[in-house]
Amino acid sequence: MVYGVLRMINFANSEIFMVGAFATMITSKYVFDFSTEMIPPSNAKLLLVVLSCLVASMLASALLAFLVELVAYRHLRNRTSNRIAPLISAIGIGIVISEIVRILTRARTQFSPNIIPKKALFTFHGAEIRLDNTITILAGLTLFIILERFIKLSRLGKGIRAVSMDEDSAKLMGVNLNRVISLTFILGGLMTGAAGFFYVNVYENVKYNMGFSLGLAAFTAAVIGGIGNIRGAFFGGISLGLVEIYASAIVGTQWKPVTVFLILILILLFKPNGLFGEAIQKTRV
Amino acid sequence: MSTTILNLKDLTIKFGGVTALNSVNLELKEGEILALIGPNGAGKTTVFNLITGVYKPTSGNVFLGDVAIDGKKRHHITKLGIARTFQNIRLFGDMTTLENVITASDVRNKVGLVGSMLGTPRSRSEEKASVAKAHEILKFIGIDEYADRLAKNLPYGVQRRLEIARALGTEPKILLLDEPAAGLNPQEKVELGATIKKIRDAGYTILLIEHDMSLIMGISDRVAVLDFGQKIADDLPSVVQNDPQVIAAYLGVPADAS
Amino acid sequence: MINLRDKGAEFWERSNRPVRVLTVFATLFVIACLPYAGNTFLQTPIAAFDAVLVYPMGIFILMALGLNVVVGKSGLLDLGYVAFFAVGAYTMALLSTHTHMNTWEIMPFGIAAAMIAGLLLAIPTLRLRGDYLAIVTLGFGEIVRVSALNTEAIGGALGIAGIPFPPGLGFEYQLLDQKAFYWTIIVMILIVIWIVRRLSVRRPGRAWESIRQDEDAAELMGVSTYKYKIWAFVFGAAIGGGAGVFYASRSMVIAPDNFTLNTSILILACVVFGGMGNIWGVIVGAAILGYLPDRFRFLSDARLLLFGLVLVIFMNLRPEGILPRKKREKAIVKKGSDA
Repeated sequence: MVYGVLRMINFANSEIFMVGAFATMITSKYVFDFSTEMIPPSNAKLLLVVLSCLVASMLASALLAFLVELVAYRHLRNRTSNRIAPLISAIGIGIVISEIVRILTRARTQFSPNIIPKKALFTFHGAEIRLDNTITILAGLTLFIILERFIKLSRLGKGIRAVSMDEDSAKLMGVNLNRVISLTFILGGLMTGAAGFFYVNVYENVKYNMGFSLGLAAFTAAVIGGIGNIRGAFFGGISLGLVEIYASAIVGTQWKPVTVFLILILILLFKPNGLFGEAIQKTRV
Repeated sequence: MSTTILNLKDLTIKFGGVTALNSVNLELKEGEILALIGPNGAGKTTVFNLITGVYKPTSGNVFLGDVAIDGKKRHHITKLGIARTFQNIRLFGDMTTLENVITASDVRNKVGLVGSMLGTPRSRSEEKASVAKAHEILKFIGIDEYADRLAKNLPYGVQRRLEIARALGTEPKILLLDEPAAGLNPQEKVELGATIKKIRDAGYTILLIEHDMSLIMGISDRVAVLDFGQKIADDLPSVVQNDPQVIAAYLGVPADAS
Repeated sequence: MINLRDKGAEFWERSNRPVRVLTVFATLFVIACLPYAGNTFLQTPIAAFDAVLVYPMGIFILMALGLNVVVGKSGLLDLGYVAFFAVGAYTMALLSTHTHMNTWEIMPFGIAAAMIAGLLLAIPTLRLRGDYLAIVTLGFGEIVRVSALNTEAIGGALGIAGIPFPPGLGFEYQLLDQKAFYWTIIVMILIVIWIVRRLSVRRPGRAWESIRQDEDAAELMGVSTYKYKIWAFVFGAAIGGGAGVFYASRSMVIAPDNFTLNTSILILACVVFGGMGNIWGVIVGAAILGYLPDRFRFLSDARLLLFGLVLVIFMNLRPEGILPRKKREKAIVKKGSDA
C-alpha cells in the first residue's frame, strides 16, 4: 500500500512490526500482569486483555510508522534527482530503531505470556486445528476486509487510491498529499501492528531482530500479489506461507530465508507485475 | 534530394483500452524540416517515443531507410542515427555542459571499460578527439562559453540549447526536437529558429514538435498534423494553415502567421 | 563553513608539477608513518592501533571505494556487497588450505570468483529499479551467508581455519606487528584509487554518472546502460573480492558470521558519510567511521546504531557527504584534455 502511494518501499516496516509485537508483550506482561504460568482467566477478562493488546500493538506501530514517514521519507520525497536517498534514510531509521531496542533489551529474547489459549479445537486429517491459529486466520481475514472496504469507500481511502494512480492530478483535485501519505503509513502501521500482536500470540517471544525475516517475507508476499494491490497481497501472503512450509519440509528449515529470497528473485524476473498488479518499472518520457 | 529516410507505416499503439496512435503514416524526407503539430494529447510525443524505441508499436512499423527499427533497443537506435531532445529538460545536471555532450558522443567511440582502465593510446586519442568535437558542437550552437559550468546551473535558454547540442553529440542523421521553444521568450525563439535552420543546412534532417505557430511556419518545409492519434493533414505549411479540418481541431491557428 | 574539498582542489590546481609531486609524496609519507603513531592520543584502547589501521580502517576504505562505484557513481543501491567480500575470503581460505598456493597467487582467483558472483547477480537483476534492486541484492548477500552456514563442506558455522599469512618479500607478515599488512593494504588502496580515477574521467565514468542521474535519458543518448550497470557491479565485486582475500589471509580464521548484512550496511554508511561518488570523501569517511568505534569504547557496542544514524542524518541533512563535490568538473575536464 505504501508502495502504491509512494512508489517506494517502506524499509523500516520490519522494525514497525517488531515494535508492535513488543507492545503486545509489554501490555500483557506489565499492564495486565500476565505471566507464563498462570491459570487462564475468565472469558470476559480474556477478551479485554486480547483487545487491549491488539489495540496497543496497532497504535504503537501506527505511531511509529507515522514518525518514520515524517523523519525518513517526507524530507527526501521530492528530490527526484536522487532516487535512492529516501531508501537509505529509511534503512537507517530501521537500524536505529532495532539497535535501540537491542541495547535496551540487551539482545535477549523476551518471553511473552500466553494470551489466547492454545486449545485444540478438533483434528482434521491428522492435523490439529488450534484455537489461537484459527483466531489469527479469522482476524487476519477480518482486518483485510475492513481495510479493503475502507480504501474503496471512505473519502480518505479514495484519496489514497487517487494518489497512487496519479499524484499530480490528485494534488490538483485538492487532495492533501502530505495527509494522504501520512495516513497511508498509519494504516500500514495499524496492519503491521496487528500482525505483531498475532505473532506474539502464537510464538510467545519477542526479540529485537524478529522483524527481519518476516519483513522480507512480507515484501515477497506483496510482490507476488502485485505491489500496490491489497487483494494481491492477501493472496501472496497465503501462497508464500504455503510454499515456505512445503519447502522447509523438503530441504530443511535452515534454508528458509534462501527459499524466500529465491522466490522473490524469480517472481521479480519473470512476473514483475506479480500476479495481479501493475508493472514495477515504468519508463517515463 | 527527396529520399525518404524515416518512414512510419500504419503505426498503431494501444495502451490498455486507449488507442494513442491509429494507423499513422508519415514520411520524413532527407534534409527537410518536418513539423509535427496537434492539440495536446494528440500523440506527438508518443510518435517520438515509438521512433526512439521507448515504446513498441501494437502494429505497424518504423522504417529507417529499409530497416525496421521498431522494437530495437534504445541505445541501438541512437547508434543507427536518431537522436532526440525532451519536452521537459532532462540534462545530466551534475555534469558540465561539455561532459553532457561528450557523454552523448561516446556512442561513436570504440573504447570500452577495459581500454579506459589500461589507458591505451587509442583511449587517449579518442578522449582528446571527443573533447575537441564537443567544443565544436557547443560553438556551433553558440554556448561554448558555458562549457565548464554544471548543467543544472545554466540559465533556462542555455539549457534548452544544450539539449540540442547533446543530441547532436551522438552524430545523428535525424534529429527529433520535442518542443524546443517551450518557455523561451520571443527573442530566444527567433534565435532558435535560426539555429534549427543552421543545423538542417549542415546536413541533418529534423522532425520537430512545436506549438508555436509562427516558429513552425517560419522554418518548416512541411507540416503534419495529428489529432486524437490520427494524421489529419500533411502538406506545405501554407496549405495546412488553411485546412479547415486543422483549424477546427486546433482552434486558434492564427490565419496570418507568417 | 570551510569547504575543504574546494580548498584542496584550489590548491591543487594552482600548483605546478613539482609542488604537486611534493605534496603527493609528503602525504604518502605521513600515511606510511601512521602505525608509529600508536602511542599518541590516537591510541585505540581495545585493539592495537596498527591492527586497527588495517582492519577495520584499511579494509573499509578498500570496500568503500568498490561500493562507491556501484552506489555512489552509478546510483545502484547494493545492500549485499558483503557477498563479494565473502566470496573472496572463502576462495582464499579454501585454496590456501587445500593447495600450496600463497596469498598473491590466490588473489587473482579470489577477484575472479567475486567478479563471477557479481555477474551472476547483475545479469538477472539489473533490469530492476531502485528499491527492488536493493532488496534483491540484500537477499543475495544473505543467500551467500546462509549457504556458507549450511554447507559443511566449507566449514559450516565454524568456518575455515589455518589460513596462512601472505609470503613476505624480505620482510615478514606478523600478527603482533601489523605494519607489513598496513603497508600492503595502502598499496592496494592506491592501486584501486588510480584505476577508479582513470575510469572516472573517461567513458565509463561518464556512463555511470549519466545512469545515476537519468538512466532513461542516458539510454536515449546512446549509453549502453545495461552493459555499464553490469560493469559497475562486476568492478565493485572485484574490489570486494580482493579485499576479502586479504582479509582472510590476515585473519587466519573466517566464518559465516564475519559476513553479515551489518557489514554491507557499514560500508554503505561509509559511502554516504563520505559523499557518494566522491573518492576522497569516501576514503576519509571510511577511515573515520572505521576508526571511531575502536577509539571510543562506548561507541563500540553501539557501532551499528551509529552507522544507522549516519545514514538517516546524512541523507536528510547533508546528502553530499562530508566532502561535497562542487568543483569536481574542473579537475575532470582538465584531465580529459591532457590525459
